[in-house]
Amino acid sequence: MNNLTTRSEPRATPTSSSHPRPAYEATIERIFAHTADTRSFFLRFPPGHSLAFKPGQFISLLLPVAGETLIRPYSIASSPEEGSLLEICLNLVPDGPGSHYLFARTVGETLRFTGPWGTFVCEQLPPAEGVFIADGTGIAPIRPMIRCALATEPRFPVRLLYSASQESELLYRQEWEAHARACPWFVFTPLLRHPADGRAGLRGSLLVEYVERCYVAEDSDRSRHFYICGVGQQVTELRDLLRCGGYQRRAVQY
Amino acid sequence: MAKLRVLYETGEPERVIEFDPAQAPFQHDGQPGSILDVMLGHGVELEHACGGNCACTTCHVIVKRGMEHLSENSETEDDLLDKAPGLTPTSRLGCQAVIASDDGEEIVVLVPRYTINQQV
Repeated sequence: MNNLTTRSEPRATPTSSSHPRPAYEATIERIFAHTADTRSFFLRFPPGHSLAFKPGQFISLLLPVAGETLIRPYSIASSPEEGSLLEICLNLVPDGPGSHYLFARTVGETLRFTGPWGTFVCEQLPPAEGVFIADGTGIAPIRPMIRCALATEPRFPVRLLYSASQESELLYRQEWEAHARACPWFVFTPLLRHPADGRAGLRGSLLVEYVERCYVAEDSDRSRHFYICGVGQQVTELRDLLRCGGYQRRAVQY
Repeated sequence: MAKLRVLYETGEPERVIEFDPAQAPFQHDGQPGSILDVMLGHGVELEHACGGNCACTTCHVIVKRGMEHLSENSETEDDLLDKAPGLTPTSRLGCQAVIASDDGEEIVVLVPRYTINQQV
């Protein structure tokens, strides 16, 4: 077992073809089913150990599948302050060997991984409105980012646009609503493609249409910063929409 | 056949891979026929923390020769490289740079000493 508390300094770490990164192990302490095909896995480190990471980063699970080791990245949905407990949140992907392997795991089993990785981070919001855009399980890295943003002074407006197919797929909804009640500078905007009240379902472009209307077509403020996480082509569509709409390239992260 | 020569800033011995681009993919990570695909498929390791999905910069390589034989950068690749340490005008992500040449001309890449993704 590697010492997870003595994380790397300097920030950059050496690469080597013959000396791969150290892998860590943690035990599955709890599994929570958000929906039939979306689960959170809570990974507990051994006593005295924790993983230092920045909100938005991910770990790479090393999964023994069919005689080889699959590398599967999963964003960390918990906050660095939670210490020795790490949460990842994922969908069961049809024909996806990695997610199928994970969905077959039970409490008490161990998982190996490397990390933390990734440069999609938000340690400190710039002095402007921060707009977080998530779709489905893309909320995972956004969650610790928003927690961090809401706990940081000085305060600037923070908004979460969160799209999902239906109500049950809006993960951590109670948490977002609690934040909105406690923090008047935080606005939670859920966007459902198939509302339960019988209204005509909006198409998959709902998020793109909403962002175009609110932040490009009907507004001239270009000082906002955007943090986008989702699945598939929608992410690059949003990136292109915002950059072509006049926002600075580095103000649109994804 | 194409030829990929891999140099290491750490001083490790270089590796030379001869391969037929038409046989790609050589394994399952990264774009088929990419530098990462060619290296892994021929037993030459290259870090790829995101599984070769263009979500990190751990497979950052610096192309020393043969840039014209590689696929064009996407905006997503450029955005990621923007955050890579030691960025150079010929930096590429190994998982995205697909080798198009099969005329035998050698492509030379350098694996840099550092990556930034394991950062805290």
